[in-house]
Amino acid sequence: MTQAEIKLCSLLLQEHFGEIVEKIGVHLIRTGGQPLRVIAHDTGTSLDQVKKALCVLIQHNLVIHQVHKRGVVEYEAQCSRVLRMLRYPRYIYTAKTLYSDTGELIVEELLLNGKMTMSAVVKKVADRLTETMEDGKTMDYAEVSNTFVRLVDTHFVQRCPLVPATENSDTGPPPPAPTLVINEKDMYLVPKLSLIGKGKRRRSSDEDATGEPKAKRPKQTTDNKEPIPDDGIYWQANLDRFHQHFRDQAIVSAVANRMDQTSSEIVRTMLRMSEVTTPSGAPFTQPLSSNEIFRSLPVGYNISKQVLDQYLTLLADDPLEFVGKSGDSGGGMYVINLHKALGSLATATLESVVQERFGSRCARIFRLVLQKKHLEQKQVEDFAMIPAKEAKDMLYKMLSENFISLQEIPKTPDHAPSRTFYLYTVSILSAARMLLHRCYKSVANLIERRQFETKENKRLLEKSQRVEAIIASMQATGAEEAQLQEIEEMITAPERQQLETLKRNVNKLDACEIQVDETIFLLESYIESTMKRQ
Amino acid sequence: MAGNKGRGRAAYTFNIEAVGFSRGEKLPDVVLKPPPLFPDTDYKPVPLKTGESEDYVLALKQELRETVKRMPYFVETPEEKQDIERYSKRYMKVYKEEWIPDWRRLPRELMPRKKCRKAGPRSKKATDTGKGPSLTNPADVLKKIEELEKKGDGEKSDEENEEKEGSKEKSKEGDDDEEDDAAEQEEYDEEEQEEENDYINSYFEDGDDFGADSDDNMDEATY
Repeated sequence: MTQAEIKLCSLLLQEHFGEIVEKIGVHLIRTGGQPLRVIAHDTGTSLDQVKKALCVLIQHNLVIHQVHKRGVVEYEAQCSRVLRMLRYPRYIYTAKTLYSDTGELIVEELLLNGKMTMSAVVKKVADRLTETMEDGKTMDYAEVSNTFVRLVDTHFVQRCPLVPATENSDTGPPPPAPTLVINEKDMYLVPKLSLIGKGKRRRSSDEDATGEPKAKRPKQTTDNKEPIPDDGIYWQANLDRFHQHFRDQAIVSAVANRMDQTSSEIVRTMLRMSEVTTPSGAPFTQPLSSNEIFRSLPVGYNISKQVLDQYLTLLADDPLEFVGKSGDSGGGMYVINLHKALGSLATATLESVVQERFGSRCARIFRLVLQKKHLEQKQVEDFAMIPAKEAKDMLYKMLSENFISLQEIPKTPDHAPSRTFYLYTVSILSAARMLLHRCYKSVANLIERRQFETKENKRLLEKSQRVEAIIASMQATGAEEAQLQEIEEMITAPERQQLETLKRNVNKLDACEIQVDETIFLLESYIESTMKRQ
Repeated sequence: MAGNKGRGRAAYTFNIEAVGFSRGEKLPDVVLKPPPLFPDTDYKPVPLKTGESEDYVLALKQELRETVKRMPYFVETPEEKQDIERYSKRYMKVYKEEWIPDWRRLPRELMPRKKCRKAGPRSKKATDTGKGPSLTNPADVLKKIEELEKKGDGEKSDEENEEKEGSKEKSKEGDDDEEDDAAEQEEYDEEEQEEENDYINSYFEDGDDFGADSDDNMDEATY
């Protein structure tokens, strides 16, 4: 793991779980698999705290445990999974767009808690939804269950690996740690539950009505001796499926930008049809015939068969090669070249970065070298029609930032520099890796700056929170306008200004993080797809 | 043997024209310090995307940040003792739900173990667990207890705990309270009884005969 990645992981863990978990997590990322006592010894934390931290990390699927020989249990951290924590808001928003508020809350609960049983999720989400509804209305468990089942059917939620059922314990003492297994076909199997009930509202009047004082309430839930019907069956959010969805979204919007709305709809239909048939790492989708595509177009999209065929031919002939023709049966068999599409998207990202950082003439040179693959310095000047001195300057600037690399071709076996060709070339994979590393560094810088800004104004923030709390309580007890005015004036005008500036800055930094994460996603997908093909 | 530099004169090994400097021209200064921390950029960055969905995702992100601080998974660092205990601190404590993980899915060593009660382990060790030899006289009983306390203790108590947990897993109680009680019954604190060295107790596997040798056969010669 690179230093930038480790730094980012450390910041993310600290924000989500606190310093102790961060220390343990970063240590594991740095050193790999380690047993419990070694972790405690190396990090200098007490055994109790290490145990607690490991429980939290395992619960959130960030650390896995394995039993090695001699009964030693080793814990290993998953660095890439830690980096996914940056993308949680995007996952939740996607669930909202696809399955509305219920789906949004289900995914949010699963991400916040790592893994949960279905009954626990349904209950919690129903309670939360009931809170937001009008008085007197409650959310039925059945509706939440339905949405949950739909999420599982479309593979957005999957089962966690299970503890194997121990048949007999005559074979000796049970192992020090369970080896969790999951069967492919069981991963999306929903247990038959009959969850009947409605969401509960957490209101003070309810508590008074039941006559139980507040102190007794938490104990009551733990004394509940009803067996949970789906005990031991835990569910987690399936991040790969979300990534697949993001990738499809990126491809569709790229086609929409390049061509028009109709072609993007056609591509979207093709992708939707291939969702479950294509494995996640495949370089292209299964071939789809033109007739099938015609039948599956969304209802209300009235284009004739010939128009569809024309669009498909246009898409297949496009130099970007998003869609390819793989046969003629069934009116023409078409595939979507996922790997090529990701490559184009990564290349476009690189070009845009070069343009924004170095200017449009540099971008022209970059695109030229990309197109011609290998060029000598003289050729670059000629093809780009840029004066020699400037061209050299730009090439060296890009070379020093590692967007372009040099390829040496010796004429003589002794590699004498005066008798060697030096060709400029762009390797998309290595440039993408370099850019990804920079993105990680950027996000880490953004988070650090945001934390710094917040810390600088900590006193002011606390004061404003106190004032807000006072105003809220006064309004609840029915205070006069004049009194409220007086309290509000506790914060002076310049302080208000300062708070405004702080809020604007923090919002801007947060928005930056989210958008850099989109670039990170594209580059990571491309690199992953390329590595799978090798 | 230092190489000749072309009879005392510097000569480049490559064609200097190719990198854009004509012969005899003053080469640019060598940079002797690291690049600046905040370098000037020629081009200003592109403005951020704005829109309804971007605003929503931003709000989600900020809410999430606040929510995770209140979850039971956020492990607070224990604060150092302050000189004066502030009155307001008592009323500013945030009420956090207790989270108890599903111990069936986790390695056993992660379970928190309560401090052992003094009476408990002694009585357990004194009783015959079936591995030791028949104890005929009190002197041997005492010696046996000492040996067990020193070396084979970790292994034996592990077995005892394994049996207990085996039965716990079989019953599969979903009730957290009962699990807590069972955890309290494990009066065994590994730290208190481990030796003063760096070796992990479980690594040391006693042979079957270890500790079972009774000191009764003292007629063997000692060297």
